[in-house]
Amino acid sequence: MAFSYSTLFLPGSVFDLSDSVVLVTGGSRGIGRAVVLELARAGADVVVHYHTREEAAASVAQEVRALGRESMVVAANVAKREQVERMVRAAGEWKGRLDGLVTSAGVYRGPSIEEVTVEGWEEVFEKNLGGTFWAVRAAVPWLRKAPAPAVVTISSIFGSHPGIGGAPYQMAKAGVEQLTRALALELSPEIRVNSVAPGFVRTDMNRGAHEDPEFHRAIARATPLGRWGEPEDVAPAVRYLLSRESDWVTGAVLGIDGGIALR
Amino acid sequence: MNARAADEQKVALVTGGSRGIGRAVVVRLARAGYDVAFTFRQDAESARATAAEVTGSGRRAFYRPVDACDEKEVAGFAAGAREEFGRLDTVVASAGITGALGWDAVSSEEWRSVFETNLVGQYWAVRTTASDLKKTRGSVVLVASIGGLTAYPEQVAYAAAKAGTISLARSLAFALAPEVRVNAVAPGWVRTDMTAGLYDEPRARAAIVRGIPRGRWGEPDDVASAVVFLASDGARFITGETLVVDGGNVLSWRAGRRR
Repeated sequence: MAFSYSTLFLPGSVFDLSDSVVLVTGGSRGIGRAVVLELARAGADVVVHYHTREEAAASVAQEVRALGRESMVVAANVAKREQVERMVRAAGEWKGRLDGLVTSAGVYRGPSIEEVTVEGWEEVFEKNLGGTFWAVRAAVPWLRKAPAPAVVTISSIFGSHPGIGGAPYQMAKAGVEQLTRALALELSPEIRVNSVAPGFVRTDMNRGAHEDPEFHRAIARATPLGRWGEPEDVAPAVRYLLSRESDWVTGAVLGIDGGIALR
Repeated sequence: MNARAADEQKVALVTGGSRGIGRAVVVRLARAGYDVAFTFRQDAESARATAAEVTGSGRRAFYRPVDACDEKEVAGFAAGAREEFGRLDTVVASAGITGALGWDAVSSEEWRSVFETNLVGQYWAVRTTASDLKKTRGSVVLVASIGGLTAYPEQVAYAAAKAGTISLARSLAFALAPEVRVNAVAPGWVRTDMTAGLYDEPRARAAIVRGIPRGRWGEPDDVASAVVFLASDGARFITGETLVVDGGNVLSWRAGRRR
């Protein structure tokens, strides 16, 4: 048997998530969707959260079932704490357990400082940072009862490297990284909390950017690995960080950016 | 599982593979389907036992005593592995040593040996295999340490060398892209021969655990899992990164500890 993605990541080999229930926020599209499918391939039953794209979420859940795992969808606006709490309760009550949480719901806005509005500021902070925090908080009582609980947050290369425009988004993602470290410490030894920080990944969130041929080329050229990331490039790291194989990893932030931040 | 052609059989080279973290990496890679070439310094018995675990997993092992900081010896070993296995997909540089205790106890000879074994040897491991790795679009994992990230006054030379490893991963990631990925792992307190002196001393062992939020020492396998992940295709968009595998140790500065 050769060492390849398909063999290494089979359930029962390594990074196995059999007999676990994981909630993935923002699971209907982009990185969240790729994570849902990767976790299902690892043997997890997955709760797929969405905000507005009910059909897309239902279709992801259907793909999970086609992989032989169970799935359900749950709607929430992650900017609203009550809705986040209701989402987590629904996920936990589904099978009476919650083993993992992946907070992939988020929104990108790139205004210049003069263009930032109060509403824009609140949206970006409430969805990216508030949505992550309240989801973890609501999940803690469930996770404490799980045998090997883990949280993976989704930061961004803009959580540690500045860009021009979208300062509130960058500040919120920096907040997600510190939330990861703070809660990794506070929730130890029971619950592990780690983060992945994707670079330029082709999703709906940045469609405008990667569909602009000039910008697309510029980013590919600036990336040592020579290309944009795909959602499927991010998902295996999330799988590893949820699995028992990473039992001694907590508070880590792992960049998945093709090396674009190296200089 | 489909039978695969021999030319798809993947091969790893691991320095410092007879004991500790390196040994766990060798064994895990073999279980993941790699044939493994590994170096050891002097413990031939441990090397034989490690090789037996590789062959027990149905994979081939190739091992030789090598001074990991000697450019010619490392190149000779890589040539031997090339001849034996025909290709190379992954290099893990795990050979390492610590020095004398105390910031003012390091002789100039020891500065050299600690830097050469921990840091320069990793450079030669990559330099002598880079063309093989380019052919297979392979990857490298360097074993650093949280000593390279935090103050480590008891082992100033070791800590500086390991900080060098983290830097080396970044520069080599840039230099060898896009064909070859280069990453590092930074282990915390892992139970190996290297740390046995502290682990076997109950007060030191307990003091170290107090600084580890996960509440236990690491096992070599904890680190080997991270290495296997970074070496795998699942990490195909990750390069130049250092993954900390320490039970949360670096989070736990003094003000952050439970009283």
